[in-house]
Amino acid sequence: MTASSLRQYLQTLETNGDLHRISEPVSWNLEASAVTMLLNEEDSAVPLFENVDSARLVGDPYRGTQRRPWERIALGLGLPSDLSYREFYEAVIERLKNPIEPVTVSTDDAPCKEEIQTGDDVDLLDFPWPYIHAGDGGRYSNLHTLVAPDPDSEWVDWSNHRTMIHDGETSSVLLLAGEQTPNLYYYKYEKRDEPMPVAITVGAEPAVQYTSVMWIPTGRNEAEYAGGLKQEPVELVPCETNDLSVPATAELVIEGEILPNERRDEGPFGDYFGYMHGPRRSMPLFRVTGITHQTDPILPFCVEGTGVGHSENTTSSMEIGCVGPDATLGLRTAGFDVECCAPWKSTPRTIYAISTEKTNPSYLHDMANFIFTTWGMLHVDFFIFVDADVNPLNQREVLEALALHADPDADFHQFGVETMPKVPLNIYQTPTEKGDIQTGTSKAKTAKAYIDATSDGAGREAQPTHDVERRYRAQKILERAGVESSELSFVDPGEATQ
Amino acid sequence: MTTVRRHLDRLRETGDLISVTERVHWEGAVAEVASEATRHNCPVTLFENTSGTVRPVSGVYGGADQFASADQRPWQRIAQALDLGPECSYTELIEHLARWETSDIDDVTDEPAATVRGSGDIYSLGLPTTSDGTPLVSLGLLVVERDGVTTWAPIRGRAQRSQTLRLSVPESVVEWCTSPADVSVVLGVSVAPLIAALQGWTQGQTTPSVPNLAAGLADVSVTTAGSRTVPSDAEVRIDGRMNAVESSATEGTEPRAAWELTCETATVDVNVETVAVREDPIVPFTPLGEPLTDDIHLMCLVETAKLFRRVNNYWGVSPVEWIQLPVEGRLGFCIVSSEILYAGFEWQLANTLFSFSDLFDKVLVLDEQADPTNLARAIDDMWVKAHPANDWIFSEPNASSAAAPLYRSDDENGSRLYINATWDPRWNEEYIAPRVTFETAFSENVLESLIERWEELGLDDLLDERGVSTDHE
Repeated sequence: MTASSLRQYLQTLETNGDLHRISEPVSWNLEASAVTMLLNEEDSAVPLFENVDSARLVGDPYRGTQRRPWERIALGLGLPSDLSYREFYEAVIERLKNPIEPVTVSTDDAPCKEEIQTGDDVDLLDFPWPYIHAGDGGRYSNLHTLVAPDPDSEWVDWSNHRTMIHDGETSSVLLLAGEQTPNLYYYKYEKRDEPMPVAITVGAEPAVQYTSVMWIPTGRNEAEYAGGLKQEPVELVPCETNDLSVPATAELVIEGEILPNERRDEGPFGDYFGYMHGPRRSMPLFRVTGITHQTDPILPFCVEGTGVGHSENTTSSMEIGCVGPDATLGLRTAGFDVECCAPWKSTPRTIYAISTEKTNPSYLHDMANFIFTTWGMLHVDFFIFVDADVNPLNQREVLEALALHADPDADFHQFGVETMPKVPLNIYQTPTEKGDIQTGTSKAKTAKAYIDATSDGAGREAQPTHDVERRYRAQKILERAGVESSELSFVDPGEATQ
Repeated sequence: MTTVRRHLDRLRETGDLISVTERVHWEGAVAEVASEATRHNCPVTLFENTSGTVRPVSGVYGGADQFASADQRPWQRIAQALDLGPECSYTELIEHLARWETSDIDDVTDEPAATVRGSGDIYSLGLPTTSDGTPLVSLGLLVVERDGVTTWAPIRGRAQRSQTLRLSVPESVVEWCTSPADVSVVLGVSVAPLIAALQGWTQGQTTPSVPNLAAGLADVSVTTAGSRTVPSDAEVRIDGRMNAVESSATEGTEPRAAWELTCETATVDVNVETVAVREDPIVPFTPLGEPLTDDIHLMCLVETAKLFRRVNNYWGVSPVEWIQLPVEGRLGFCIVSSEILYAGFEWQLANTLFSFSDLFDKVLVLDEQADPTNLARAIDDMWVKAHPANDWIFSEPNASSAAAPLYRSDDENGSRLYINATWDPRWNEEYIAPRVTFETAFSENVLESLIERWEELGLDDLLDERGVSTDHE
């Protein structure tokens, strides 16, 4: 059964022996983050800090294991724990194909309204927002769903933009122009000199959290996709101080508005690239008008920067488990013959690998053009196309394809050289490119690249071909010989074909 | 000297060896299981029950995919087999191989441990076969002597008939010894002779003193067979007469060993006269053509050591921290970690590597802080630290084609690529992003407090089994 709240999800983790409760006092000031990073690096249990001032913290609740990064995402969706990579992808895609409308519940029936503070009672500093890395510009909420409306339609966008707490009433929000919600802010609200009503939903149920990182098309109701993932309607409840509705099972909701032409310095922050990103820069100011929450709320956070290399964190796992299937569906819906589109497992957001049966150059160029000019133009710098029998989630296989099949002379395509828009987060940008900007978009344009690492038939005939059943029998022999069962996720004829 | 048997004992003690005791037929099935084992980072796999004379074992000098395993290193088993100790780092291993020194052999025994048994029928050995039932020979050596000098050379091949081996060997070896010649083919030897044979006869080398190269790597024990010096620990020794032959058209479609990319090869037949084996012989083999196989591991290290030695002797200083041909890239990709001495140094470094090796046409340049044990993080730098417009540098399309990749096999010219994932030395410090690591993300006070509170936070129960306490304390 799909978890209908963060609490229910954590209960499931605990039932599985996968939640580590820490009842001793733990400081929000780096200590909770340090414990979380340690457990992330070791693929160990999820830590629940039960004694952190006025609320509880949970570190990287959706982080998967390095071997099976989608595993806890699947748990939140009530999917079987032993699903293969391919089975998981197809299950999520099927659910996304069947959106379900949300329902509205009353305030009395909404857990997130157990405590309500508005007006002078509002104080962001009542809650233990974690200070995540030494050197961060401040304390952050960085695992939430930001709810923001289009002023010209009924569309409401759910997204995830980190928020740095400044004082009891204000924070700054990382809005990078080019993304859906920032575009609404910069090119509609601020141009009209209007505040943008916003609700930051912290600790929403898994399906909501997952949907907020997906590339749901503009104008589509994200709550319906969350319902599809959940396989039942998501419950929404009206806010207290604006006209927005938020997921009723959230742990805590910060209501407020992002003010036009108001900025506060934000960052630096140890970001998803695995580097401390700077310099400090101005970002739009969020002013709080109300806070509602459950009693003894649980605030999730992500230790960004750790989901690279050999370790996972929540955002890297969500990139694989949520954005990957969503992108695969998106490409198929656009008419492309895609076996699988998956983020590079240890470099979330920057590079994706796509396996496809059709490998002629014009087809790949058209697909790259579609991707880079629609959803991939900002954060994604590279796409690698590989043959359909290469597993995009297996970095070894993709690197092998890159080494043996991507010809420097013919298969590397710099796309839109010095014409592509660029977010200012990339650490490779020169000081000039980073600039000092106002709208969250880099001054400089840059290039993207796609790499054709398909074989074109060359050399692949020389590789041994394997009958799936024979491979399966061989794997079973290894299993009976005592290979650890955790190593044997490949014992699956379906998986063997990937 | 670490014989294969001693090496396997150690692997068994550390849980890095599994014994397949159920009946697995050497005809096809053994190679199939071995393929799956190497492909999926399994322990060394010893087949105890195959009906043949020998017990095949795979993965003896291989290792795990570095992307998939944070706590296993692809070169661990080779370092262990060279007696370099469990704590031997990657750089120490490369430096050891890069010495390329010869030593006298102190340990010469009178009698070979292997004794002549049976009729000399190769098929009765039960070597793993291809799907068409042809017994395969891999991870062995050709032993041949000329004018009192014995050399050992790498081989790859199969049984042509019950008393004929058809082998691929470096062409320079055949030229050196002149065919026909009396030879031995030895299987199940320790790793030092295997590495030394690659160093002596591949990469353009013609260095017959391979036994002395092996002695420079580790203690080796030798004995004699006829006039030849052979490793005394060989599990199987096949003696016979070698003749050069024209290779057949079908041989071009067989999977080749990694070393065959690094030199011209010749085909020889060995007409078998005697077969000597030890008691319950164990024969390492590798399922050629698969990812992560032993031959790829060995050749990656040998090529890396050559490059490391040559590059760091080039500038008068030694800026290169490490070089790696990751086994995952099958010799087609090179990573180098170096201090960037001056602007443009990374260009010079990459092109020096291209000059010294014709295996690859892609080089990734990392800064000196990069960790050779974390391939995932090294590759991440390629995607996040190298500017897609400025730092992916392609040459004019006049370069000769590289040997490892599978495109441009018609020897047409093409481009080379190096990726500069280092900080520009002209940048001010403030623009250089520090890495997020456990050590950099938290102050010493936080880390000390965490260690003190290890037990009360319940981390001892959670992490002790993984050895984390030790690592971080």
